[in-house]
Amino acid sequence: MNIIGPDYLVFGVDDVAASIEYLTAWGLKPVDVTEKGGIFETLDGTGIIIRHKADPMLPPPLPTSNMLRQQVYGVRSAEDLDAIEAELGTDRRVTRLSDGSIELKDDHGFELKFQVTIRRELDMPAEKINAPGAPAQRRPNEIGVWEEMPALPRTLSHVVLFVPDLDVATKFYCDRLGFVITDVLTGAGPFLRPKANDDHHTLFFIRTPEYMKGCEHLAFHMGGPTELMVAGTRFVKKGYQSFWGPGRHKFGSNWFWYFNSPLGCHFEYDADMDKHDDTWIAREAPMGAEASQIVLFEMREKWAPTGGPPPGAKG
Amino acid sequence: MGETRYLCRALDIGEGEAKGFGPIDGARRKVILVRRGGVLRGWLDACPHYSTGTPMAWKTDGYLNGERTHLTCHSHGALFEIETGECVLGPCLGQRLTAVAISVSEEGDVFVALPVEEKSKSDN
Ligand code: FES
Ligand SMILES: [Fe+2]
Repeated sequence: MNIIGPDYLVFGVDDVAASIEYLTAWGLKPVDVTEKGGIFETLDGTGIIIRHKADPMLPPPLPTSNMLRQQVYGVRSAEDLDAIEAELGTDRRVTRLSDGSIELKDDHGFELKFQVTIRRELDMPAEKINAPGAPAQRRPNEIGVWEEMPALPRTLSHVVLFVPDLDVATKFYCDRLGFVITDVLTGAGPFLRPKANDDHHTLFFIRTPEYMKGCEHLAFHMGGPTELMVAGTRFVKKGYQSFWGPGRHKFGSNWFWYFNSPLGCHFEYDADMDKHDDTWIAREAPMGAEASQIVLFEMREKWAPTGGPPPGAKG
Repeated sequence: MGETRYLCRALDIGEGEAKGFGPIDGARRKVILVRRGGVLRGWLDACPHYSTGTPMAWKTDGYLNGERTHLTCHSHGALFEIETGECVLGPCLGQRLTAVAISVSEEGDVFVALPVEEKSKSDN
């Protein structure tokens, strides 16, 4: 089962206009978007789909207030869809759609869809850095930052779910769908990566009471920590609300910056996440402020020290 | 009321509207003014889901849900009654926002009582 990761996350929102404004300002490209909603793409085509919560085209809501309606996973080929259908068709309803994709529910009742991935292959450089002792990554006269530098989400990275039962969630995704646990934050939950993706995680669970079941956050990969901070700074300047960050996580090593959203969950810019293969042995650490991040900052308004007033001058 | 600080004209907050002010005088969180049924109320912009009390808007002044019926935390979608501050849906069900004392002068100016503070929290 070559699952790559989330192609789309689908939300049923209560304020379509606000969501359209937000997703566009976040750096996603509206595709066929009307006042009823539509698709918002990253550079590789993965992204977010929104519709009004009363729209009958949406999959049914969770029994909580969470607005997440469906997680659409991309797989490598049609054979992978057959394999998933064969595995999960034994104990639940699997619906085959006319385009060949399949829909089903996981063991917590989250709506899932699997399709041959729509993601386009990206061919663009990562953030380049220069450091003594290592070959320069930027040529002479190639500058690192400029005011209008691009800082757009490249791909949908991961989704984090509030689930009441970690065992049930982990067993479903690992035993039935071939995900692997990369690390565990005890007291919160495990980080998972699917077989056809070497990212540290595309999925993370946090144990919560049943009435909180839903999406805690979703994240987008940026081209590097500078792009992450430039995108986040631009977002704050437009009036959007930072929640946590910027900082750098320990597990996964990814830079992070989380924001509030009108979709009822956090949105995260992430960058420079670790890659793993099957030789990796999962680590474990108790969830807490120390385990969760190596550094944490909070944005402040731009400021610069100048020469200052001459001694004795006022102000 | 002891020391107060001017926030805005009462007319600046229309029926069914909410706006954020501050943070005032070194307080960690803003003050939300919201008008419903003609009555102006003040709440601290601090969601009780986490004991540190986190900011609730999705953007400047974005404190209400889509239907404009409730104050909303745009972290995990908790809904709060405008009149009582009680969370009626979401992660902090049954908990309350912190009320902020405000007064409106005869000239129609809105003042907030200082200091603007969160309830003392012990956990986390
Ligand atoms: S922080 Fe407000 S609902 Fe979670
Ligand atoms: Fe994340």
